[in-house]
Amino acid sequence: MFKWVLAGVAVLLVAMQFFQPDRSNPPADPQGTYEAMAKPDAELAAALRRACYDCHSNETRWPWYSRVAPVSWLLANHVREGRGHLNFSEWGRYSPQAARRRLEEACEEVREGKMPLRSYLFLHPEARLTPKEANLICQAVR
Amino acid sequence: MRAGLLAPGLLLLVFCSGCQRKPSERVDPTKLKLFQPLPAVAAGAAGPPSEELIALGRMLYYDPRLSKSQKISCNSCHDLSKYGVDNEPTSEGHKGQKGDRNSPSVYNAALQFAQFWDGRATDVEEQAKGPILNPVEMAMPSDKLVLAVLKSIPEYVEAFRRAFPNDKDPITMDNVARAIGAFERKLLTPARWDKFLAGDEQALTPQEKAGLNVFLDSGCQACHSGVLLGGDMFQVLGVMKPYPDQSDPGRYRVTQKESDRMVFKVPPLRNVEKTGPYFHNGKVATLEQAVEEMADYQLGKRLSRREVEYIVAFLKSLTGELPKDYIKAPELPKSTPRTPPPDLSD
Repeated sequence: MFKWVLAGVAVLLVAMQFFQPDRSNPPADPQGTYEAMAKPDAELAAALRRACYDCHSNETRWPWYSRVAPVSWLLANHVREGRGHLNFSEWGRYSPQAARRRLEEACEEVREGKMPLRSYLFLHPEARLTPKEANLICQAVR
Repeated sequence: MRAGLLAPGLLLLVFCSGCQRKPSERVDPTKLKLFQPLPAVAAGAAGPPSEELIALGRMLYYDPRLSKSQKISCNSCHDLSKYGVDNEPTSEGHKGQKGDRNSPSVYNAALQFAQFWDGRATDVEEQAKGPILNPVEMAMPSDKLVLAVLKSIPEYVEAFRRAFPNDKDPITMDNVARAIGAFERKLLTPARWDKFLAGDEQALTPQEKAGLNVFLDSGCQACHSGVLLGGDMFQVLGVMKPYPDQSDPGRYRVTQKESDRMVFKVPPLRNVEKTGPYFHNGKVATLEQAVEEMADYQLGKRLSRREVEYIVAFLKSLTGELPKDYIKAPELPKSTPRTPPPDLSD
């Protein structure tokens, strides 16, 4: 009985791999990115790239496990959601007020330790922001 | 024995999937930072408009002689008595031709960061010129004809002179747009929501406050925040999954950039109760369906019927008062023998 269940799960896992989500990095207008428009200093730009860009830009570095279902589905969904909320590659889509709100929110989330997500930090410890970097994000609001 | 335990368990599961927790009716004031009340006037770069300029703008807004057939005015599609829309999926223009996008409301429009669904005009003044010369809308063939009509009517000549006292030749297309824009800058509809933002907690009913919490918990404010709960950013239609109607590529038409395909201006939610049908194509008939679809395509969430009802209840608190005296249709000056006649050709 157990053998059949195991075989069933294996077949299901294999079948899942045929349904790959969209893992593309959509084209972005180079003039419309946060870096092009806000011209942050190098330290802030590097911190954002390291800690935020995988989910909040069109420059996602898709890891190997993003090709394995069902993790691929979860990750792709998560990235789409992140880009929808805040996208550093599409900064030109925001009015100055909308851009400011996004930075304010980012500042709050980072200060309260809600971002980067714990699950992300578990697999990407290098994404942890130092207090100085978190402050830089908050200063960017001004 | 096992089956005996399983059956009540399953029943409980089925029962509980239908019994969701009631959303809180207390609103966290820190979350209200995302929103701002309406200002008294949407001032443009030129500063507060004069009464003469507004009066001229009001006449032009209501005057069908700015169209080729002399039957269509701004008010035909943006009916001020109907919250600035015509409640049609797409509007009827010259000789019954249909536009390809839903007519947005002119109320509060001046506070948006860009005009039209694709943001191709930056302000209401620039926007005002578009429909007059659009062949499927008011269809005037040229600026020249618009100006000829206006110059043929002495009352307009005088009204332009009063509105633009420093201009040698005040009847120009730019001044037509300035006057209409000036009139539109005061088309504002303060609502109970503004009183609530100003600190009057009783301005919203408990159900509306609960609806606001559902709105916030669902993530709608990611795009719908600020003064207008929208109108201050562009967004892809279909963030979480492709929107089925891909026939209109949105802002791509303006910029020709691949990154702008299916990108539209986020519409403001003020008066949304009154401005259906919804979306750029006007294909969504009810507000409930619009909320459901937005949650699905933009947030990747399937809202329950109750959640939708709560959000809709909140959205209705955004319905403002129409400025009845301000929008009263003026008496239009009569045409003269010099006025070019209506043209009903294609």
